[in-house]
Amino acid sequence: MSSSSTETGIDVVMPQMGVSVSEGTIVEWRKQVGDWVAYEEPLVDISTDKIDTEVPSPAAGRLVEILVEVGTTVDVGTVLARLATDAKPGEPHASESDAVGGTVAPPATSDAAAATGDSPAPATPDPAPKPEVAAGSAGAADTRRYSPVVSRIAAEHGVDLAQVGGTGRGGRVRKQDVLAFLQDGAEEKPEPPMHIESPYRPDPPKPKAATVAPAISTGAYDPPAAEPLSRMRRSIGEHMKRSLDTAATCTSWIEVDMSGVERERRKAGLTALAFVARAAIDALREFPLLNAWLDGDQVTVHHEVNLGIAVSLGEDGLIVPVIHGAQDLSPEGLGKRVRDLARAARAKTLTPDDVQGGTFTITNPGQYGTLMATPVINQPQVAILDLEAVVKRPVVITDAAGDDAIAIRPMCVFGLSWDHRALDGVLAAQFLAAVRDRLEAL
Amino acid sequence: MATNTALAAASEHLTLDDRTALLRYMLLMRGMEERAMNLYRQGKVPGSFYDGFGQEAVSVGSSFAMSAQDRLCILHRDLGAHLVRGVTPARILGQYMGREGGITGGRDGNVHFGDHRLGCVGMVSMLPDMMLVAAGLAMAFKLRGEQRCAITWFGDGSTSRGDFHEAMNWAGVQKLPVIFVLENNQYAYSTPTASQFAVDPVERAAAYGFPGETVDGNDAEAMFDATRRARERAIAGAGPTLLEAVTMRMHGHAAHDDMKYVPKEQVEEWRAKDPIDRQEARLREAGVDTAALRAEVKAEIDAGTEEALAMDMPDPETATDRLFYEGEEEIHLGDGNAPWSGFAGGDR
Amino acid sequence: MATMTYLQAISDAMREEMRADERVFVMGEDVGVFGGAFKVTDGFFDEFGANRVMDTPLAESGIIGTACGAAYAGLRPICEMQFSDFIACGFDQLINVAAKMYYRQGLPTNITVRLPSGGGFSGGPYHSQNPEAWFMHSPGLKVVAPSTAEDAKGLLISAIRDHNPVVFLEHKHLYRRVKGDVPTGTYTTPFTARTAREGTDLTIVTYGAMVHTALEATEDLDGASVEVIDLRSLVPLDTEAILASVRKTSKVLIVDEANETCAAGAQVAAVIAEHAFEDLDGPVRRVATPDVPIPFSPPLEQALLPSIDRVKEAARELLEY
Repeated sequence: MSSSSTETGIDVVMPQMGVSVSEGTIVEWRKQVGDWVAYEEPLVDISTDKIDTEVPSPAAGRLVEILVEVGTTVDVGTVLARLATDAKPGEPHASESDAVGGTVAPPATSDAAAATGDSPAPATPDPAPKPEVAAGSAGAADTRRYSPVVSRIAAEHGVDLAQVGGTGRGGRVRKQDVLAFLQDGAEEKPEPPMHIESPYRPDPPKPKAATVAPAISTGAYDPPAAEPLSRMRRSIGEHMKRSLDTAATCTSWIEVDMSGVERERRKAGLTALAFVARAAIDALREFPLLNAWLDGDQVTVHHEVNLGIAVSLGEDGLIVPVIHGAQDLSPEGLGKRVRDLARAARAKTLTPDDVQGGTFTITNPGQYGTLMATPVINQPQVAILDLEAVVKRPVVITDAAGDDAIAIRPMCVFGLSWDHRALDGVLAAQFLAAVRDRLEAL
Repeated sequence: MATNTALAAASEHLTLDDRTALLRYMLLMRGMEERAMNLYRQGKVPGSFYDGFGQEAVSVGSSFAMSAQDRLCILHRDLGAHLVRGVTPARILGQYMGREGGITGGRDGNVHFGDHRLGCVGMVSMLPDMMLVAAGLAMAFKLRGEQRCAITWFGDGSTSRGDFHEAMNWAGVQKLPVIFVLENNQYAYSTPTASQFAVDPVERAAAYGFPGETVDGNDAEAMFDATRRARERAIAGAGPTLLEAVTMRMHGHAAHDDMKYVPKEQVEEWRAKDPIDRQEARLREAGVDTAALRAEVKAEIDAGTEEALAMDMPDPETATDRLFYEGEEEIHLGDGNAPWSGFAGGDR
Repeated sequence: MATMTYLQAISDAMREEMRADERVFVMGEDVGVFGGAFKVTDGFFDEFGANRVMDTPLAESGIIGTACGAAYAGLRPICEMQFSDFIACGFDQLINVAAKMYYRQGLPTNITVRLPSGGGFSGGPYHSQNPEAWFMHSPGLKVVAPSTAEDAKGLLISAIRDHNPVVFLEHKHLYRRVKGDVPTGTYTTPFTARTAREGTDLTIVTYGAMVHTALEATEDLDGASVEVIDLRSLVPLDTEAILASVRKTSKVLIVDEANETCAAGAQVAAVIAEHAFEDLDGPVRRVATPDVPIPFSPPLEQALLPSIDRVKEAARELLEY
């Protein structure tokens, strides 16, 4: 975190989140003017075209001024807020003490003097402006806390602790609870797909101050005021549009019998995605032209597979963290990296390196049962694999004796969007067949 | 001037070679400390720097009377005792500079050392703690029925502490073969003896049941002879002796101390009693080429300086090493040099 | 094997070592003809004589200081402080001479300092202290504190044979209250921790008299399986044993009879916080004596020393946590 000292305290500035980042947008102030902020306590959420992140406070102190409002985009290095570091946490103010009663110590302005009709304000300003403003910060969410060992076990086994019942004091989840949960076959429960799941919960809408009298209804539809798209949405939009403008996008589909995948992933406690990713990597090694970048008329065919996995951040948008050197990882290793990166994405702790250098992308939005999609290629890559819902379906199978029969099988449609500038349909078809054959052989 | 008196004080137990050796060790001590002070001013000696300028006769004279099997707990004004026992100039200068090749390998500084292989226990800063350690050494000799002796030096300030009393009492009660050398150099840091004690501590010895003797601390031969006699008593089983060596600390407590609290006349008075000048006058009269001796000593110090400067600084990785000794072999004090001719024929 | 009290085991250790090694001798106040304030050296005078069972002047600095000198001359002194409290008078020699000599000068100080310590019998402020943390904070001293007769003998023999200064805290309250089978002859016990009782639900880390308090308090605690680690040695501290137990149970209670601040248990808590954070399923709890001198009157003293009830309560809270 960058900061610079002033006579009265510390300036909080827009950090540089990666070498190529030059500006950032304020998403949310976690603290209000007057709040006490601990060292490294999250102060403000920002969004850049690389990454969204929280900015930890560079010092302990009182937030005395917010200079950049939510939604505003400013250059790196711009002062966002000021902290008074000589303030003491013990000094009461609205967010710390009821005794203040939410009143604001009004600044000694000439307006105030004029309003009361008093003589002009004193020549010297009030010493040590202790901003005892009204409580404005959101109260801490009333969530359960977990001990270090419980957190560690949960992380190691991918357990969602919200699902674990607690038998400790006050319903606390204890070590034995999470161990019992694992024992009872938590592994059997499939992990939710990455794409559409998110712990994000939007803040309840803030009541707007009723300063303006409501307009008299004319009876016609009066749409709410338009709001600018978020920085991330704009960034995604520009990226997607540029892809469609650039690539000659085609999409091919293939149907895959997921019986083997379903069996193996239950056994290993993994998601289907881990096995699909492994099969896709193997197929990419067979057809390396799909593991490539196309920039104008320059093509780069990669030896290593840096696999992008699309992670939904709910209404905020989408981010594609990258598993570098994915060809070296087993399905278990891939599953773990996917979990780690998704967690980091949602916690906004991804580093710029985590989202750069992808050579091929997989997206996995099938949770709601959609059967097909035409994904947009993540430029400058030349293909993207889409994994949709696994649905049980009657299919014709041929047994060992060569007799046909109808069987119920978990089926899934895989779609591959590919750039016709870089390759032709035969290669895309061969690639999809290779992925299918690998998965059906499990 | 007391030259004539000094000449008369020559001990009958000293040969001319012994007397020359006394001068040589005093010259070596002074030359070493002057060299170390220069290294200090050159920024090569970390921390502080203490010396025994003007007190050379005390440590050189008394340690000269000790046998190889005797054991010494040496004060920081007494570099001469280390030299008599056989510690080389290079290892001492390396010690001052915190080098790996110094006696403590950089673990402790300046004169806080004792080469245990030469029968010396390194002093601690809390004076006079070593009085009790010396008494303990003597206690071991007595328990084992050995005809050996321990000696330790401490200052006038030390007589105010409880350990002085505990050691004097203990040694008196157990009649231990130990020699206590009270080095009365007139000041404990800046505090004169008048603020330290109401009665000259040499008088206290009688109260603990053993003799106390005041000695001219600026006469190496007098110091030798008094110590020799005390040692005779000790190994004969007659118990401890307190020797009060009256001398003067001619430099500040340490390098930073300009000693402005000492009246100029007092310094001048003691300058005239310089122990080296006195011994050199005796030897010149006896026909010894002291100029050649001085040149020899200087060459030895020069060589030692060169060797010390070439020593490595200790490896920071070793800073937490050597807290506990877990080896098989016993490590105890070894025997040191005993250059007095009286020991040459197997005399103890 | 013979059944001995804790006190007899300490005597036996010294007697065996003095018989086996003529360098070993005992020194202290009233240890000779009288046999010591606690009769630990009872009969020694007759067997070994005045030289090896040395009545010293009443001078604790003198005892430690001369012991150092004797050790440098090749003997192996065992110093008895009449009460551990009086080590304050010999502290300088212990901390500045004995503890630092090997590090500074390469000369080991082979002395053993026996400290009858601990309270619980109206000894008052000067006969009840548990000063072990003083020594733990002085690099160069080993600090051991047995809880059983067998360990008292084995640890004391190890201490006598150790080349380094060892502070041996023998708990006065255990002298005649604790009995056990003790091997005859000489044997050494390593300066490591011992599992006094195995368990899976909670670890109690303690030493000295509190080992017995902890065992009794959790003998039958609502069916819980409570592990009790007897540190035996505070320096060196057996961090591996502590951490292994914490990894197993994930909950820790530390019991000190010493005053709470910077006690041995505080160091144990710090080690756990630093190295076993991700194994914890609850706060590291401590039961110790509050930071006041030990008062004389029984109700006052008992209000301060960790009791079976206090240990039970803390253990229950952790188990339920």
